[in-house]
This record gives sequence, structure tokens and C-alpha cells, in this order.
Amino acid sequence: MKGAPPVLYRPGTVGEAVRLLAQPDAEPLAGGTDLVPALRAGAPRPRAIVSLRRVLELRVRGVGADALTVGAAVTYTELAEWSPAPGLAAVARCVGSLQVRNAGTVGGALGSANPRGDLLTFLTAADAQVLLCSARGPRVASVAEFLAGGRRRGDLVTAVRLPPARGPQVFFKIGGRQAAYPALVSCAVVVDRLTGRVGAAVGGIATAPLRVTAAEEFAASEVDWSARGAFRGSAQAVARRFGELVSAAARQAPAQLPAGQRDPVDYRCHAVGVLAARALARCLAAPAQPSMPVGVGA
Amino acid sequence: MTDSSWRPAAGVGAAVLRPDGPAKVSGTFPFAGDLAVPGMLHARTLRSPHARARIRGIDASAAARLPGVAAVVTAADVPGLATYGLIVADQPVFAAEEARYAGEPVAAVAAVDAATARRALAAIRVDYEPLPPVTDPELAMAPDAEPLYPPDGVHGQFSHGNIYREIDLRHGDDPDRVGPVVVEDTYVIGMQDQAFLAPEAALVVPGADGGVDITTATQWLHSDREQIAACLGLPEEKVRLTLGGVGGAFGGREDVTLQIHGALLALAAGAPVRIAYDRTESFLGHPHRHPARMWFRHSATRDGDLVAVQARIILDGGAYASSSQAVLGNSVTHAAGPYRVPNAHLYGAAVRTNNPPCGAMRGFGVPQVTIGHEAQMDRLADALGMDPVELRARNAIAPGDRLPTGAPMPAPMPARELIELVAARPLPPPRDPAADPHGLALPGGRGAGADPARVRRGVGYALGIKNLMFSEGFDDDATARARLELGPDGRPRAWVHSACAEVGQGFVTIAGQIARTELGVEEVVLAPADTGVGSAGSTSASRQTWMSGGAVRGACVAVADRLLARVARRLGLPAPVIEAPRRVLSLRCGEIVGPEVGVRVPLAEALAEGPIDAEYTHHHRRTEPLDADGQGDAHVAFAAAAHRAVVDVDLDLGLVRVVQMTLAQDCGTVVNPLALTGQVEGGTAQGLGLAVMEELVTVDGIVTNPTFHGYLLPTAADVPALDFVAVTYPQPDAPYGVKGVGEAPTGTATPAVLAAIRAAVGRDLRFVPVRPADLVDLAAGTGGVDRGPGGREPADA
Repeated sequence: MKGAPPVLYRPGTVGEAVRLLAQPDAEPLAGGTDLVPALRAGAPRPRAIVSLRRVLELRVRGVGADALTVGAAVTYTELAEWSPAPGLAAVARCVGSLQVRNAGTVGGALGSANPRGDLLTFLTAADAQVLLCSARGPRVASVAEFLAGGRRRGDLVTAVRLPPARGPQVFFKIGGRQAAYPALVSCAVVVDRLTGRVGAAVGGIATAPLRVTAAEEFAASEVDWSARGAFRGSAQAVARRFGELVSAAARQAPAQLPAGQRDPVDYRCHAVGVLAARALARCLAAPAQPSMPVGVGA
Repeated sequence: MTDSSWRPAAGVGAAVLRPDGPAKVSGTFPFAGDLAVPGMLHARTLRSPHARARIRGIDASAAARLPGVAAVVTAADVPGLATYGLIVADQPVFAAEEARYAGEPVAAVAAVDAATARRALAAIRVDYEPLPPVTDPELAMAPDAEPLYPPDGVHGQFSHGNIYREIDLRHGDDPDRVGPVVVEDTYVIGMQDQAFLAPEAALVVPGADGGVDITTATQWLHSDREQIAACLGLPEEKVRLTLGGVGGAFGGREDVTLQIHGALLALAAGAPVRIAYDRTESFLGHPHRHPARMWFRHSATRDGDLVAVQARIILDGGAYASSSQAVLGNSVTHAAGPYRVPNAHLYGAAVRTNNPPCGAMRGFGVPQVTIGHEAQMDRLADALGMDPVELRARNAIAPGDRLPTGAPMPAPMPARELIELVAARPLPPPRDPAADPHGLALPGGRGAGADPARVRRGVGYALGIKNLMFSEGFDDDATARARLELGPDGRPRAWVHSACAEVGQGFVTIAGQIARTELGVEEVVLAPADTGVGSAGSTSASRQTWMSGGAVRGACVAVADRLLARVARRLGLPAPVIEAPRRVLSLRCGEIVGPEVGVRVPLAEALAEGPIDAEYTHHHRRTEPLDADGQGDAHVAFAAAAHRAVVDVDLDLGLVRVVQMTLAQDCGTVVNPLALTGQVEGGTAQGLGLAVMEELVTVDGIVTNPTFHGYLLPTAADVPALDFVAVTYPQPDAPYGVKGVGEAPTGTATPAVLAAIRAAVGRDLRFVPVRPADLVDLAAGTGGVDRGPGGREPADA
């Protein structure tokens, strides 16, 4: 830790929180799973820390007719058992360790914007929107816009909004061991049986989650998702082709993350293709009950 | 013979619980980092960010002037010897003219709090002139290589140039002979870290006599004291060490790290100093396991009898010697493994580079070569069309067979029995999808969504030996004191004092078991380990149960002898009985009994005239240094282990899950079955980690992953329950027939897992830890063999 001890604020409302965050060099604190280790490792201390634990309105989850809303201070543990959002629940179950899941929050994942962040990959595939509030008022951004623009000073992530689950949603990731690992690469596939739309994104390839549009279009055109996922050719062949398209997109991605000793870029591009093929195969195998949210996968 | 077989309930052989167990489990056990005294200062260390740099100047004046800063020390403030080291004192207390690895200490500060100390570090200006680091040991050892250390600094201590030590072992009539069936390859081992959970810490209090009292987590109090006193310019008796709570060591605390820095600061400030590392500093602060590049050629007759082994082993010792010379001795003398090898030519070198220093880690040079010789044995079995277990059993070394050092293998050595035992254990059943609907037991766990149809199972074996105790003529004796006395409640109790460092291995448990066994009391008080008693030697080399266990036993036996003689004298028994009282008297169940002479005296009564003290120093049998051809009776004794690993591999992603580990181990007499299980389970897990995940990665000498986020350790989900068989032939020259047990399974777990992966994927593996990328076919044109930065691509791959 460097610098004078920061002032700790504990607001009770979003309004108070954004007023406090408007001051120069103020950091929001939720679960602390990123901020606290960073400070311990010697990151410069902010002048003010605004703890969000008492802001109860950030901890709500809502189910609407056309959208699910998840408050920024909802933890992974809370999400992991939330039946209206099976994809989010699948992601949440894969994040970190039990201790991290108990503390880490949705808003923290967005605020830290780790390019390998599990939640970001899923939210990108799900066409989620980020709800923000600052002293100037609220605004809404897509996940991509939010990540590209960086969090502006004074912005507080208040919630994410995403379409309700209207089809299979799968999230897969791999890393260095069987459990409690940071993602090396990840892949999310979100199917909307009503619109026939397929959303797919991969993490761990580029500096932000990568939408794989060619693969999405292929999966949407090859499969009639409204009719129990009927498709031309074999499910295996469709899934394999989907994976190839994802691998190809990964290889051509701009702003690729640098190679690591244990994870050359080739391997990452190969592995996301494998994960994508598995994810689509899981979606194709899911029972078609368009009226019910279907959660499969991890 | 009830007398001689009598054992108290909590004596030798019983599954006694650790006395510190409840405190450790409930979080109240004080580790060295938890120590605090009122008014203490907080110290931090400034480290070189460069792998190699000339230091043109250090200006600490601004730091020293900061409010709250009590002391700043650099190389200029070291009053005694400027360098220290376990074997050769070549490591500067602080880098003076040149920093030779990234992370090398340059200065340290003590301040009123840690934040002020950090600010003071930032205020120290070091004028570095970065130099090109030499990070490839092959380049560093070339005859024309630039010396990385002043040649006159430690004249005569090293082989030559940048080579800490070189051994050219030649064994048999024709060391370079090549038999008709030959396998030959190169293997590369990455840098493993001990990754103990409680980072380095010490509390240093300046004494009124000008000395210091240091409480620290270490493996060898007396070696620390010797090195600290030399650097402080103090007589050893003014440097007093007490063992703080140690949270794991695995060799990583055998070298001095922060002890001298803390003492310099405490003496300069005239106040107590707490010095402690965070996780990143811990990864940079202690020596690691040597990365190795190894070439092996094994040859055999067509019937499968080994004809010869040739090997070339290069250990990267990093910037300073640490224990590299002794580690190399182990690597070379163990390179042929637990096999009868008529001819061997084994060359090894430990080399100075600008990588982080490497030294002691569980296995001490043996795990690296075990990985190599076991991979070779599997490939030799393939070449011969022979079962790998059969090939190992056929060639397994037996007592009396000559080791490559020319010395006979001492008994017991059940190598053949061990490999046959593990092979006969039941294999795990095939995966049951109904029992694991979420795929938690598939490679990659829940997240990877593995397709069971694309998961293949493999089974692999490894057999290995590890020397016990220090080798090559070193007399690493151990001293302990024991006293039999009446406690405050008037009941007899034993008091034991040893400087043996309890690092988790369980000495605190077995010391009590030994004292209860020898003295027939229930209560045993173990005094804190400190330098107020003679050296116990290092808690390493699988040696403390044998050596300090032997010392405690010897001291207790001496106490009992004196007490029995006192009783015999008091009872007026004849002189021959007084001289050898054990002929008629014995100590059991709190009584002195002698049925032949009608004696039955309660212990409390016998102790009424005062306590009885004794001190004992235990020595193992003497060994010899290696001669110019690497020949000599260099090792005291060996322990053998055999592992079988069963793995599942996701063929598409290259992810590995270890399904089952089976271990048969040569354990000697079991002093405590619970402690034994803990040791072999831990050793297995640490070896498994090296096989598939643990690697401290350096790029141009800079560690890139010094955190538990970047350096992954196996979790409970990665390590299956261990199926363990103890083989318990007593070791003839050891107290109670014990053998050290902590190291042998570390060496065999890694190659067994590798062999199982090889069996599953059908590829030879030349790199450890194995990466998923090595196990899958990547897209054409991109290969899959580029090891990236760090130059791990072997020359002939």
C-alpha cells in the first residue's frame, strides 16, 4: 500500500454512493476480491474508498417480462442458485473458490474488467446491458461499450440487465487445475428459441470478450431452434463446424493477449474451438421447452 | 517377554495426535508471522528489479530522513562477513556492486509501521546499470563464458568459472558401453517452488549484551546462527535463536533469507523489529528446486537386463551457490535409479546463472533424475516389448548390489517388492456417469464439459530411491537433552529439549512418544526449540526422526540408566547391578520394577531426591566423499518408493485428472502411522503438482508468476485419496529401526503421473510440468513444441 490511508465511506443509497464517488480518486469497494489484494500488493491507495455493502438497492434481483435485472452487489453465491438465470448460475458456479464466490459481485467483475473474467464472457454472449449511475445521472451501455470505454470516473455500476432465458445457455471454461482456477479460456453460448438468435462469445483470447459473429450466424442459420433444435446434418457435424468457426475467429482476433509459458496462443485458439463445439452440442441436446428457461451445462 | 514388549499407549508405534493440532486447526497456533511485541518496528526489503545490473550507487538519505523511519541498512552497513551461504558463503547479505538475480535484496528499512517502511523503500534511489543476464546454463558453463561472480571471491570453492560443481562418475568395467537395445532422449524439468503456506517471518529483539534474540521460522537454527553471527560480526553466543511457528518448509527455509536483515535493523534501531515477507516476496526470497536439462541413454540386453546408463545432467543453480553442490551430488549418484547397473557414466554440473538461486527442496536433486530414469525405463520396456513393471522388477536393485558409486546397497532395500506390490493393488473402477452427473470427476472438472467418449485412461508406474541424511562424509549429528523430574503436581514427568525444527513433519509428536516409551511416564514437556541446546541438524534430508529421534532416545535411555543406578544404589543392590542396573531393573508404567530382586519403587519416590538430566548426541555411520570418478560410500542409507498413477486425459483439450495414486513405500519401523500417512500423502501431492501444474516461470531471469493466482498448487479436487501400503523392514542402524519417509514419495509421484499420461495419449513426454498444449494436436503449421520464452526447447527435440 502506498500513500496515506484512504477515507472509508459507507453510504446507504446509490445517490449517496455516486456523490461520494464523484470526488477525485475514489474507488468503490464491494466484495474486495480484486481491490484488497491489489492494495496489499502495493497498488497506489485511492484517497477514498466507498463501501457498497450497505447499499441494499444494489443487491436486488428482478425478473421482468422482457428482462432480468441483477444488482451490482449480488454475489456469485447468490447467482449460483438463481433459477431464472440458468446461464448466469452456471457461470457463477465456476468462478474462483467458495470464498471468492461468497464475496465477489457482479459489479466487481465489470469494474475490474479482467479480460479473462468469466462473467464478462457470458454477459457479452447474452447481449447484456450495463446500468450505470454517476452524479450526472443514470446511463446504459452494452457490455462491449462499457469495456471499450473503461469505467469513467464517478461511474457506479448499479446493475446488469439481460434478456430472460428463452433457450439453452451454456458456459464452459478451462484453467490450470480441477477447481478454483482463473480461466485460461472460456466460451458462452446463449440460445433464444423465440427469435432463433444465438449469442456466442469467448474469453481469454483478446483484451476483452470476443463476440464470434460468424459462428453465431452459422448456428442460427443451420438450426431451427424453435422446432426442438432441428438441424441439417448431424449434431456432431454442426457442433464441429461451429467450433472451427470460433477457432478461426479467435486466430484472427485483434488485440490478442500475449502467449504464456503454459498456454501458447495456438493452444488457446484450439481450446476455445473445442469448448464452443461442446457448448453448442450441449445446446442441441437440451430439451426444447420454449416456455421454460433451460439451464444446461456447467 | 512382556517387559521388553511393553509400550505405553502413546508410545512409539501409536497413532498419537499432534500436540499442536487443535491450535493449528482452530487458528490459534502462533506462526512466526503472528509474533508481536509492543513498540516493535516493521521492516521491508528492497529488491533488484533487474536479473543482472551493476549498482553504481545507492542513496538512502531521503528514506532515512522520512518521519517514522528508524533504520535503513545496505551492504555498507554489514559489520561482519559480507556474504553468507549454506555450504559456501558466496551470497551477499545485500547486493553491493552487482545485483545478480531479479529479487536480490539491496536494502532494508525498519519503520514505525509497514506503510511507512514501504514509503521509505520507494524513497531509496538505486542507480542501476542493467547488464545482459545469462539465463541459459549451457551458455554460462561454456569455457569462454564471462564469469558471473568475481573468481577471487570464493577461490577454490567451485569447480571453475560459473560451475558450482561438476561430477564425472564412472562405474563398471566399461562406463560408456552401449548394449543392444538402446533408448536415448533429453528431458527438461521446470522450476518448482516449495510454496509453503506461511511466508518467511522473524521477530528480532536487540539484547542488553549487544547481541540479538531472534525468533524465526527456519529448518536449522544452528546453521542460521552461524551465518547470522558471522555477518553481524558477533560471537555466536550473542546470537540466540528460537524457533517460531513454521508453516511448511520443504527445503525453502534451509537457507537464510530475512534473518540477517532483521538483525541488522534491530541493532541499528535499538528496538525490536518484525520482518516478514508477503507471498510475492516469498516466491522471490528463497531458493527453489533446480530446473534441469538431462540427457539419458539406457541400454539393455535383448532379455531386458540393463547393460549401462549414460547421463548428462545440467542443474541451473541460479545466481548463488546455496546447496547446489550437495544437490548435484544427489542428482548424479541417483541418476541410474533403483536398478542394478553394471556400467554407468554419469556426468553432472550445477551452474551459476542470473536466474533465481536454487537449492534445497524435498527430494534434493533426486526428483529430477527420477523423472528422467523412469521415463527411460518405460521407453526401454516398449523397445523390448516388455511390461514396464516386469522390466523394473527384473532390474530392481537388491541389498549388496553395487550402486554407481561402487558402494554396496545397504539392507533393507525392498525395491522389487514395492513395484510388485503397487502393481497388484486393485485399479479404480471405470467412471460411473450416474455418480457424477456434473462431470466434476472428468478432466477440467465442471467447467470443461469434457465428452466422456473423448476421455482416455492411462496407468503409469515409477520406482525410486532417495538417500537419507547428509552424504559425502558429512557428520550431521543431532543433540538432545532429557530430564526426568517431578512436576508441580508431584507426578513424574519427562522434559525434552531439542533444537529440531518442527516444520510440520511431526517431531513434536514423536519426541513425546519416544520419551514415554523410554521413561515410562505419561506427561512429556517439550521445551521450545532454540540454540540453548546443541544443534539438531537440519530438518531436511528425511533425517530428523532418525537423527533427533535417536538423540531424544539416547538422552532418555541415559536418564533411565542413571535413575535405575540411583535406585539400585539406594536399595543397596550388589555392585554389578549398580553398574548395569537394566539387567534386573526396568522402568514401566511409572514404576521401577525388578521382580528378581523384589523391587517395586514408584517413579515419584525414586525422583524425590531430585531430577535426573542427560544429554546425548546421535551420529549416523560415517560416509565418504566421492573420489574423482564419483566413487565412494557416500550415502548413509536409502528409502525406496513405488507409485502407480491412474489418470484420465481429455484428448481434445489435453487436460489431465489424476484418478488414483497408489504408493508402496519402504518405511522402516512406523513410529506414528498417522504422521506417516500425512508425510506420504503430502509427498505424493507435491510430486503430482510438479507433474501437471507447478512451475515458477522466468523470462530473461524475471519470475512472471510469483503469486498463488499464477503459481497453481494442487487442490483437494486435484489429488485423489492415496492407496498406501507401508513396507516396514526395520533399518538396522537406526533408532527403533526407523527410516525417513517424507522425500521418497515426492520423487516417484511425478514420473508415475507422467507415465500414466504417456500411456493415455501415446506420446513421449519430455517436459515437466506437462502442459495441456503438449498433449493435443494443434492446427497444422503451428506445431506445438515451441516452449515459448525461457528456452525450454531441448536441443534434440
